[in-house]
Amino acid sequence: MIEFSSLNKWFGQLHVLNDINLKVEKGQVVVVCGPSGSGKSTLIRCVNGLEPFQQGRLVVDGTDLKDGAALRHLRMEVGFVFQSFNLYPHKTALENVTLAPIHVRKLPRAEAEARGRALLEKVGLGDRMGNYPHQLSGGQQQRVAIARALCMQPKIMLFDEPTSALDPEMINEVLEVMVTLAREGMTMMVVTHEMGFARKVADRVIFMDNGAIVEEAPPEQFFTAPQNERTRDFLSKVLQH
Amino acid sequence: MFWIHLDRVMGYWPVLLKGIGMTLALSVLSLLIGVVIGFAFGILRAGPNRALSRVVGLYIDFFRGTPFLVQVFIAYFVLPAVGIELSAFAAGVVALSNAAACFIGEIVASGIQAVPPGQSEAAAATGMSRAQALRLVVLPQAVRIITPSLVGQFVLLIKDSSVVSAIGLLDLTRSGWMIVQSVPNGLLVFAIVGIGYFIICYPLIWLSRRMEGRSQAPIL
Repeated sequence: MIEFSSLNKWFGQLHVLNDINLKVEKGQVVVVCGPSGSGKSTLIRCVNGLEPFQQGRLVVDGTDLKDGAALRHLRMEVGFVFQSFNLYPHKTALENVTLAPIHVRKLPRAEAEARGRALLEKVGLGDRMGNYPHQLSGGQQQRVAIARALCMQPKIMLFDEPTSALDPEMINEVLEVMVTLAREGMTMMVVTHEMGFARKVADRVIFMDNGAIVEEAPPEQFFTAPQNERTRDFLSKVLQH
Repeated sequence: MFWIHLDRVMGYWPVLLKGIGMTLALSVLSLLIGVVIGFAFGILRAGPNRALSRVVGLYIDFFRGTPFLVQVFIAYFVLPAVGIELSAFAAGVVALSNAAACFIGEIVASGIQAVPPGQSEAAAATGMSRAQALRLVVLPQAVRIITPSLVGQFVLLIKDSSVVSAIGLLDLTRSGWMIVQSVPNGLLVFAIVGIGYFIICYPLIWLSRRMEGRSQAPIL
């Protein structure tokens, strides 16, 4: 579904992605963690073409991202959830969710709205459809953002630190939605420091440092017997509390 | 003496009315054309095409950096020299809508740039084209941000229209000049002309202030 081969990316002098090789099969959930500045957000943003790269290959859902041409088509199949939600402030929750299905998928309005209502219901916001983003809490906004991505019926979902901007008491309501999604068999790449989530649903956990993947393992092994020195160091800091 | 003068000025009401009509016609027409071209300018100015943005920016700066009276003279006296004959009214509309387009273009560009980049990113991530993201996501938010300054710009445009009396159009200002020929009380005549402009502009000023208050409401 997603395959990186020897991918390299530079921001000027800075080598932000260093020889990335990674394969995510259909239905797998891969959690990416690492210290800030390690390149994990850049990595996930490459998958739907929000970030270009200079070297190597990246194939997503059969599309080679080097051609650049079919980006729009690819993005219809790849949902993206941002750290800062990025909901449209001038649209209600339901309009946020149905905007792309109506204008990009060319779905009839009634059908898009039915789909949108069902999804908002699913993320627990059935009573909030007419609210504008500023009338919703952070956790509610992020759930609308997840529904917005899902309404395009994507094959892959990408999450870029979806709970980092949230107050602690709202993190779980978002994680629960993501766990449900993972259990339903969605292919997911998730950048997060929520190790509980990783333990619960991840097929593999990836640790990045300085733009490179330094460890890749199933969760039990990753948490109990990390091979790399830097992974151990990172885990001791994250899991202490 | 004052009452006699006032009475005589009022006797010229058809001229005043004609002047107001011309001022309104000039302003409304130029405003409509200026808004359309101004939005196009703003979109290009804030757009991804660097070269196009520079060219538009230079064009805008040129007209923002020259006196409006000179622009009116260019439209009326210089354009015929290169084969473009314009009536006084057409020349006035051309000069006014061009100036309006330049100011509005700059305002629109700043509005587009004030919308957080995460918005177009979110739109792109759902597969929208650049044009769709602009139309459905970025512009509606930009318009909300710039409406108060746009309305303020409309007021300036109406006032600037008085300059076109210099090429012989019988607008509100020129109707004042005409009346003052036969009623020797400039203070009175131009006070009435001023009130005429104020009556046209005040609703817009009021609207602009009201909207400024409202745009304080959180939109993010």
